Amino acid sequence: MTGDLVAHVTAFGRVLRGRGLRVSLADGADAVEALALVDLGDRAETKRALVIALKIRPRDAAVFDALFDEFFAPGAAAPRERPAVAQVPLRPFGGLPGARLADADVERDVEEGDAPGYSPDASLRVKSFEACSAAELSALEAVLRRLVLRVATAKSRRLVPTRGRGRVDPRRSFRSAVATDGEFLRLARRARAVEEPRLVVLCDTSGSMDPHTRFLLAFLLALKKAARRAELFAFNTSLVRLTPWITPEKLKPTLERLAAAVPGWSGGTRIGGCLAEFVQRYRDEMVGSKTVVVIFSDGLDRGDTDDLARAMRAIRSRARRVVWLNPLLSDPRYEPTARGMAAALPFVDVLAPAHNLESLERLVTLVSSGPLRGPTDGRGSVARTSAPAPLAAPQSKVS
Amino acid sequence: MRDEIRAVQAAMERSGYIAEPSIATAVFLAAEMKKPLLIEGDAGVGKTEIAKVLARLRDTELIRLQCYEGLDVQTALYEWDYPRQMLRVRLGEMEGQAAREIESVIYAPEYLLERPLLKAITRRERSPVLLVDEIDRADDGFEAFLLEVLSDFQVTIPELGTIRATHAPLVVLTSNRTREIGDALRRRCLYLYIEHPSLEKEVRIIRAKVPGAGERLAEEIGRFVQALRARQLLKVPGVAETIDWAQALVRLHREHLDLETVEQTLGCILKDRHDLSDLRGGGLAALVEEAAAVG
Repeated sequence: MTGDLVAHVTAFGRVLRGRGLRVSLADGADAVEALALVDLGDRAETKRALVIALKIRPRDAAVFDALFDEFFAPGAAAPRERPAVAQVPLRPFGGLPGARLADADVERDVEEGDAPGYSPDASLRVKSFEACSAAELSALEAVLRRLVLRVATAKSRRLVPTRGRGRVDPRRSFRSAVATDGEFLRLARRARAVEEPRLVVLCDTSGSMDPHTRFLLAFLLALKKAARRAELFAFNTSLVRLTPWITPEKLKPTLERLAAAVPGWSGGTRIGGCLAEFVQRYRDEMVGSKTVVVIFSDGLDRGDTDDLARAMRAIRSRARRVVWLNPLLSDPRYEPTARGMAAALPFVDVLAPAHNLESLERLVTLVSSGPLRGPTDGRGSVARTSAPAPLAAPQSKVS
Repeated sequence: MRDEIRAVQAAMERSGYIAEPSIATAVFLAAEMKKPLLIEGDAGVGKTEIAKVLARLRDTELIRLQCYEGLDVQTALYEWDYPRQMLRVRLGEMEGQAAREIESVIYAPEYLLERPLLKAITRRERSPVLLVDEIDRADDGFEAFLLEVLSDFQVTIPELGTIRATHAPLVVLTSNRTREIGDALRRRCLYLYIEHPSLEKEVRIIRAKVPGAGERLAEEIGRFVQALRARQLLKVPGVAETIDWAQALVRLHREHLDLETVEQTLGCILKDRHDLSDLRGGGLAALVEEAAAVG
């Protein structure tokens, strides 16, 4: 095993990580070991071994293929390490020390086209996010915690020891009976554990959602704290997985990465196409019978509504519940008749307004009193809940 | 391709498993690097079969742990035989034994019920193949526990002490991807994703598994199923379904596909109400015609 190979694989791993693939150093070590066992002269075999050792998921296959071709090009001399999306330093907000230096970097990288979708707009966008205050975020987090508890918490079939009621646990009962000469003075019991909530959130970041962007971002950050395992996506004309980029503990890098990772903030929308992509690439792994899928969008779609309906059906068929948060619902004049919204509606369990803290608080009350606490009534036939009357009167037509 | 990998591929094929190069490579690397192999893919693409073939090839025991929601450590690892222990306690009492004395007797290996994971590390003759099937169905908590067992192949039973494997088992984990497997477990393994087979491979599988199917029928079935998978389905048929269907058609003495037969037997491969009604609503005739056209 040559040092060259180790360096090469390490560099390759770094590039993959930069593109959002979860490849660890340990995976790199596996790759080096695997490459020593295969025929390096055979490109196809080298590639197969790398996929196996680096644990490349099928959804990352396209990115991997492209980078492999570049990195392991036949006859290539020293491989060129390209700066990856996450490593591109972004234009920092005005007045920060070192701004000049970083600026120069950004210009060069953008010219090379290494940060897809990066535009001067992005930095402006970051600026508007910045206004999220810490107090605001923690208030939002508290509400979301309650909401997640009500909407997305499920009981596991796994049994854990309990002091209350539950099934008899022979193991612990017998164990304690031995201490009392085989007399069962008290039976030990087990009850079903409470699982960590499973959530997938898909956020519309198109132009029509612009007024809500700030709230949307605060929502995502607070949600990530309230439900650690939530999977987050943004979509407008294409779908981007945000989960790896959002770390509420490090607010500033999060904002910078977001601005770079989401292409075409404020562009048009292709809800149907994006949801179809979600179904194809992520649904199987991320949506199960315990997952609550939340879509945050105004439902104004310029794409094909057939696509949207099909994708929604595919999501609904697997998910525990589909929640659609629509900021437009807060306007009493709004009716969910926009073509996109109408196509999606049959597959939505909860349609509710969400544009500020107050509306989310109402949603908490709504779901704790409504019929949603039990399981929904099977596939297709949907227990939909409308918002309480004073909030959005026209919505009674929906239910 | 390395000769050793080619040999694995040939051996698997002799054992009735038609393996693509990626499958043979993964099996070879897992055995050489002594790492568990995590296999993902849609239902029915032949994940579990790999473990079975592996056990056959190595002429060793296959120990299977079927995962399900709520699977706990007792069911997977070991359990004490409570009724027998209780009986022994009563007997001891009648003989006037002290409680401490009884306790030392009843927590002996003979009162221990071995479950799959313990079985897999206590085999003395040779290393078995341990199949952890559908790991995605078990809880995350169980995954963490499994990780511990897989990392050093030793188990601590409080009453008995630590048991260490004399022969580390060859471990195969499968997942239908109904949830994402945790990064920690994934890192511990090598990873193989199995796709639906190509037309050529699928026809070979049909011919191998359903000897009654003629060349023409096998080809038409293959083409039909391939075209079906290209459509947007809620439940995509796997190879297992293809084989079922081929068997059904052979029982019905069909030598080629026709619209009527396909309509009657479509339930063998399409198992979702919406998919069935979508296809019956339009496109079925064209699909059958297309599958039967060349040939």
